[in-house]
Amino acid sequence: MGKILKLGFVLMVFCVISAGALAYVYLFTQPKIELNGKRAFESSLTEVLPNALVFNIVKIGSKEVYQGLSGKDIIGTVFFASPRGYSSNINMLVGIDSNAKISGIKIVSQNETPGLGTNVAKRSFLDQFLGKTANDQIEAKKDIDAITGATISSRAVCRGVREALNDFEKNKKVKQ
Amino acid sequence: MTLWKDFNQGLIKENPVLRLMIGLCPTLAVSNTVINALGMSAATAFVIICSNIVVALLRKIVPDEIRIPIFIIIISTFVTIADYIMQAFTPDLHHALGVFIPLIVVNCIILGRAEAFAYKNPVLNSALDGIGMSLGFALALGSIAVVREFLGAGSILGITLYNTAFAATIMVLPPGAFITIGFLMAFLNKMENKVQ
Repeated sequence: MGKILKLGFVLMVFCVISAGALAYVYLFTQPKIELNGKRAFESSLTEVLPNALVFNIVKIGSKEVYQGLSGKDIIGTVFFASPRGYSSNINMLVGIDSNAKISGIKIVSQNETPGLGTNVAKRSFLDQFLGKTANDQIEAKKDIDAITGATISSRAVCRGVREALNDFEKNKKVKQ
Repeated sequence: MTLWKDFNQGLIKENPVLRLMIGLCPTLAVSNTVINALGMSAATAFVIICSNIVVALLRKIVPDEIRIPIFIIIISTFVTIADYIMQAFTPDLHHALGVFIPLIVVNCIILGRAEAFAYKNPVLNSALDGIGMSLGFALALGSIAVVREFLGAGSILGITLYNTAFAATIMVLPPGAFITIGFLMAFLNKMENKVQ
């Protein structure tokens, strides 16, 4: 009995020291980690809506969208879409400017097949969507050149873009 | 001389990946690009060296019956510290390595060195053993990654070297890791046979 208590005590001492060390490291790295996350997200918002200086979070129905402001003018909205790809959900941001045209797309995270599906995150593929509106046909292999060997991932991105454009149109009708 | 031997044996003779064949899971997973391999090697080196030193320092206090749980507490503390530090200072690398950073805890190289070496040897020897083993791990991971990134993505360290249309995608996928490791092991065995 005494032995078990002694061993338990030793183990506890080790755990306490370890917890203390971790708390200390956590304290001085946490602010930096949060800042990094925030900065990374803001820079991807700016990437899809290049002229916006400030972003406001606005609720549309159950969805959160990011309204981009330059001065006092609303110059566009960033929508989040997460269509199902080949092996993962493709999380993407779609920026739509005040002329209802796509100003930029960014794949925030995905887990598609490396070397094939992951190519949907490339500029050369995403730039095909620039300037499209809700009235345009957006379909992989017809209106958009799909990535070779990654038709499913390419279609998913198209679906995400259409979803964002539809959300944008719905949002416009509500306002008027 | 024994110090030199403790340092040296991890490099080739008892190279953890190519000779002892331990720590293969992170090796397969993150050796697809050179930069990932280097990041993983650095994080693992930090954990191996620190845990070897601490285990060697405490080897007379730690009761024999509960040494494994204590090793695991020590190792996971250092892994979590490495995880926080990478998140704070190298967020891109942390993002690329993803779940394999926390999984350093279960890398058997580290527990293996704590149990087989640091628990029985003085601090200096254990530190050198840790450095040697991490260099051996880095060497193995680095050489696998150079081959895979060059053949699979047509680049090294992200610098494109030839038209990527000729790159063999299979090399950056898991089968490419097995193929590369197999060839490297065969090469090392052949070299050893020649020396003898």
